[in-house]
Parts: sequence; structure tokens; C-alpha cells
Amino acid sequence: MIKKLKNLFRTENILYYPGCLIKFVGTELEENYKKILSAAGIDFIQLHELELCCGSPILNAGHIREAEEIAEKNFRVFKEHGITKIITSCPACYKTFSQEYPKLVKGWNIEVEHITKTIDSAIKAGKLKAPELNTEVTYHDPCHLGRHSGIYDEPRSIIKATGAKLREMRLSRENALCCGAGSGVKSNYPELANAAAKERVEMAKDTKAKMLVTTCPMCYYNLKENASGIEVVELSQLLEKKGGRK
Amino acid sequence: MESLEKDLKENEGFKKAILPVLYSYKDKRDAALSPEEREKERDALRKIKEYSIEHMKELKERAVASLMRNGIRVIEAKDSEDARQEILKIIGKERLIIKAKSNTASEIGLAKALRNRELIETDLGDFLVQVSGDEEMHPVLPSIHLTPEMIAKTLREKLGADVKPEREAIVAFVRVYLREKILKAKVGITGANAITSDGSIVILENEGNISLVSRIPDKHIVISSFEKIVPSLEDALHVVRCSALYGTGQAFPSYVSIISGPSKTADIQNEIVIGAQGAKEVYLILVDNGRSEMLNSEFKELLYCINCGACLDFCPVYHNLARRYGSKYLGARGVIFSAFDEGLKDSFEHGAFFCAMCKACSENCPARIDLPGMMRKLRQRLVEKGIEPLSAKEMIANTEKFGNPFGEIKKGQMPGKLYCC
Repeated sequence: MIKKLKNLFRTENILYYPGCLIKFVGTELEENYKKILSAAGIDFIQLHELELCCGSPILNAGHIREAEEIAEKNFRVFKEHGITKIITSCPACYKTFSQEYPKLVKGWNIEVEHITKTIDSAIKAGKLKAPELNTEVTYHDPCHLGRHSGIYDEPRSIIKATGAKLREMRLSRENALCCGAGSGVKSNYPELANAAAKERVEMAKDTKAKMLVTTCPMCYYNLKENASGIEVVELSQLLEKKGGRK
Repeated sequence: MESLEKDLKENEGFKKAILPVLYSYKDKRDAALSPEEREKERDALRKIKEYSIEHMKELKERAVASLMRNGIRVIEAKDSEDARQEILKIIGKERLIIKAKSNTASEIGLAKALRNRELIETDLGDFLVQVSGDEEMHPVLPSIHLTPEMIAKTLREKLGADVKPEREAIVAFVRVYLREKILKAKVGITGANAITSDGSIVILENEGNISLVSRIPDKHIVISSFEKIVPSLEDALHVVRCSALYGTGQAFPSYVSIISGPSKTADIQNEIVIGAQGAKEVYLILVDNGRSEMLNSEFKELLYCINCGACLDFCPVYHNLARRYGSKYLGARGVIFSAFDEGLKDSFEHGAFFCAMCKACSENCPARIDLPGMMRKLRQRLVEKGIEPLSAKEMIANTEKFGNPFGEIKKGQMPGKLYCC
């Protein structure tokens, strides 16, 4: 507790920003990521209810002015807490902070990292050990992480570090088929998002992998809701699988 | 807007049919050129299109003057109705009209305008769709949803033809069937893939039907639009290459027609006589349908489109909703186009909020058109007019009040609606 309070008064802080979907719905995922970050020796703080939605859904819904307002509020909060780097476990937040905030907020100068990069670097540096898994998985590239941000290798590298065999789908990386949930589709037209997810799940099953791993909470919930015959897991769950990290 | 359940159900067959086609297309495309070579082609196309659209006013003036000088009659039509009237005037009393693939012809509703005449589609896919009484499902592969079994059944029912349900047998039958029509027709209609500012119309094909349709009848009518204009023939051939590569996955199509005027000969005393073996009259209809407005807007990038359909191939919404997503053109491009051609409000009905902004379209677009970026701008325009899905309104209200899209929520519980990202 004392350490946490001290952190709040520091001038240079790393913020772990889970993203609303993980923070409010995927609390298990948040706990996983916090454990992983701590195990990797990363000294981070959290802002909980002080931070707001990054504005991604607002932007994609065509509400630019509202997005600018929320971005400015977030920037102010981040500055008040001496945030110099954000680590986020949500691909949409990652894209928004790294690509949209420089356009939305004057003077934006905070480094942004997706958590797969953090974890991959920690594993490669020997600071974090991946659990040893004897299984076959396939990986679904979240659109905001892959095509929008060019992060294809880090999640794969983490999966490979567990010893799990990675079986790629016919459409992956740049050509990965979207799960259909993003940009408001899941709430505006859930039947469409579900139909798209089913198509992706079938493609995953074609690989004969036992698990479908993804690293976006939206893809995770949408794929999971529409999957049968294959286990859908979020990357942090794979890393926290029984046996756990060594 | 009503639920999409019914549309999704209707398109289940299409959804099953598209994946094998997509896989084989992608394999062909990957085999045709290496990723590095492909990126070079895309860079070059992007440059050509950027330049052409930026200099369209002067390029168009030059193109029209050059084409007229070459003996091609250029007619500018402000909208579909205007274009149809001009085409009817050219056709006159002719009953039999043969037609090759033209997305602009579909755009202006040509088939409907000619419903009292015998309009014969000569592109195999279009022909099969026409005989089935279906609609085109893809700009390059209109019959993408039809299997040999379905086709053989249709040919038997509609034309009384006994054709084996095999690809080769179907092609052989249609070859004979269409030739008879082609030889009789006095009017042929095609589209264009590119128009050069020095006065040539460039059309690519694999089947050979375009060569016949543009040369055998007396009159050849080209239906196109100004964004096809590029500075030079070299640029046009680049468009051709990208159209083939991204349309069907080939390095180059079987045939390219470069039409720079009607058929002529100077073999008798070196004096020019029009109408040797090809068309005696060549017409080019340039349809506007909101394109001039688009040219002066933040949506002008849409005019870079070369109609290859690659954006649709990888689109999850198109896979599931097919024709329901878009209007005269399909997918995101079709939705944005409809805002200009039909009206902003119509673009909502056509699916302005269906797009998951997954970027698979722009990633596969030879001209790198930023469709997701434009879709967001289109939503912005709709929102300014108060048009948006109810859930989007709720999400905005929640975020303003609670700082998160879900509103008041108990941690760890799944909300009723998953507004996010």
C-alpha cells in the first residue's frame, strides 16, 4: 500500500491500462496480466476509475468531437500521475493511444506499448519464464493489433516460448479474417458479429489445433461465444494455464 | 433498421461457397508475383491514381479532345437516367444487343432499360447469372456462388440444354451458344478498365468475348466514368496488370484491347474508309453519378478504385451478407459510393455501420484505398445528421456519463450489450 502511494507521487510512472473490456468484464484477464507484469519485474501503477475509456469506440462510431474531449481528459490524468509509458492489454486502446492520440491531443508524448511486446521482451531477456505447454494452438490476429499496428510476431513468439505447437490458419497475419466484432458491430448488429465469428472459428478448427488463442478481449469474447469444438483462450490465460509460470 | 437475421440466413449458401474461391484466388495471386514485386506494383498504381485524380480536370479535357479526334464519340451523362437515354438513342431500333462485363452498366441499371430487347451477356459469369435470374455477387466473379450442378440444372430448365454438370462442358456449351448471338448483333456494349489522356480505351479480359463484342457489331458502346482516365498507355497497362493480379490472381490477363478509334482501312488509294472488320462507330459514355462531387471531397480516394473486388474477398461482412452490404457496388466501397450516388441517408441502410474496420480491404487493395478511414468519415457525416444505430447512441451516452462504454456495470459481469473498440 505504501509502495503504491509512493508510486503515485513519482514523476515517472509506467501505467498498466487494461482497457475497459478487460477492466470491467474480463477481471480474470486483468489479474493474469498484473501477475505476469509483476513476475517480469515491471514496476507499474494503475489508475482504475481515474482513467477513462481511450475513445476507440467513440472514434469508430463517427463521434470525433467527443473523442477529442475524452482524449484530452485522459492526457491530463496521465500527466498528473507522471505517466511516461502506457502498457495496455487491449489492441484497440493500443492503436488509439499510439496512432490516434498524437492527432487528437496537443503535446502527446507518452510512450505506448502493447503488452505482448512487454511480455515477449521479458521472456527473451530471461526475466520471465513461459509455462511449458504440450499442446497445439492456433492464433487469431486481432485486427487492431495486426493490420492496424503491425504486431504479428510478438504474440506468436510468446506462444512458441511455451513449447506449444502453433498451427496457422489459412488466413492469418495480414490476411487474417476478422472476428466481426469491432467498431461497434458487436453491439449494433450482434447477429452479424456472431456469424462472422463462426466463420473464423471454423477456420481455426480446420487447423486441428486444440486451442484458439487471441490477445484481444473483444475477439476473445466474440469467438468464445460462437465456438464449439475448440477451446478459445486469451493469451494471458494460456500463460497462466495449470502448471503456471516457472 | 430491422435485424439482419433474415439476410444472414439467406446468404448462408454464399458464405459456404466463398471460402474455397478465396483460397484458390489467394494461392494464384501469391504464385503470380512475390510479395515484394506485388508491393512495387501497388506503389506504382497508387502513384498513378494519386496523380490522375489530382489532375483530373485537365486530364479529362485532354482525354475527351483526343478521343474525339480519334473518331470516338464521347458523351458525358450526369446520372444514370441521362446515360440510359443516350444509350437508347445510339441503339435505335436494334433488338439484339450483346454485352460484355461492365460494372458501370450495372450501376446505371442498363439491363432494366433494355428489358424489352434481347440483351445477351457474353461474360460467362454474367451470362450464367442472367440465365439463372440471379444478381451479380462479385465485380470480377459474378457467379462466384454457382456450382457446376446448379449451372447444369439452370441450363436445362431455362435453355433446354443437356449439359453435363462439369466446368469444361458448361464452357463448351456457352461458347457455341453465344457465338451465334454475337455474329448476329449490330450493337455491342462493354466497359473500360482505363482511358488514356491521349485517346485510347483499354479493356482487359480472359475470355475473348470483349474482343468479339467490341469488334463484330457495327456499333460499340463503352460505358465508363472519368476516374478511369490516366495520363498514358503505360499507366493504363499498369492498371491492367493490377486489375488482373488483384481481380483473379493472374500476372497478366489473356487479352488486352487498346481501342483508339473505329475500324478503318487506307488500303484503297491510301484514303481512309471507316468500318473494315471492326466496329464502324465507337461511343464512350462517361457517367458522373456523384463522382464530380466526390472528386472535390474528402472521399476522392474512392475514385482510385479499379474494380478488382479484392476488398470484398477478405471482408467478413461481405462473406456473411453478400449483396446486402453495399448497393450498386458491393462492400465498403459500395456503401460510401451510395452516399454520393443515392444520398447520405441511403448509405446507412446499405451498411455504413456494418463495417468492423478490420482493414482487410485496404490491406488487399492494389491502390491502398483507405476504406476504413473513409467509413469513419462517412459515419461522422451521418452522426452529424443524427443518423446512427441506437446502440451507438447508448455507448456515447454511457461513456460521457460513466467514462466507459458499458455504463453502470458490476465488475466481472457480462453486460447486456458489448459496446467496445
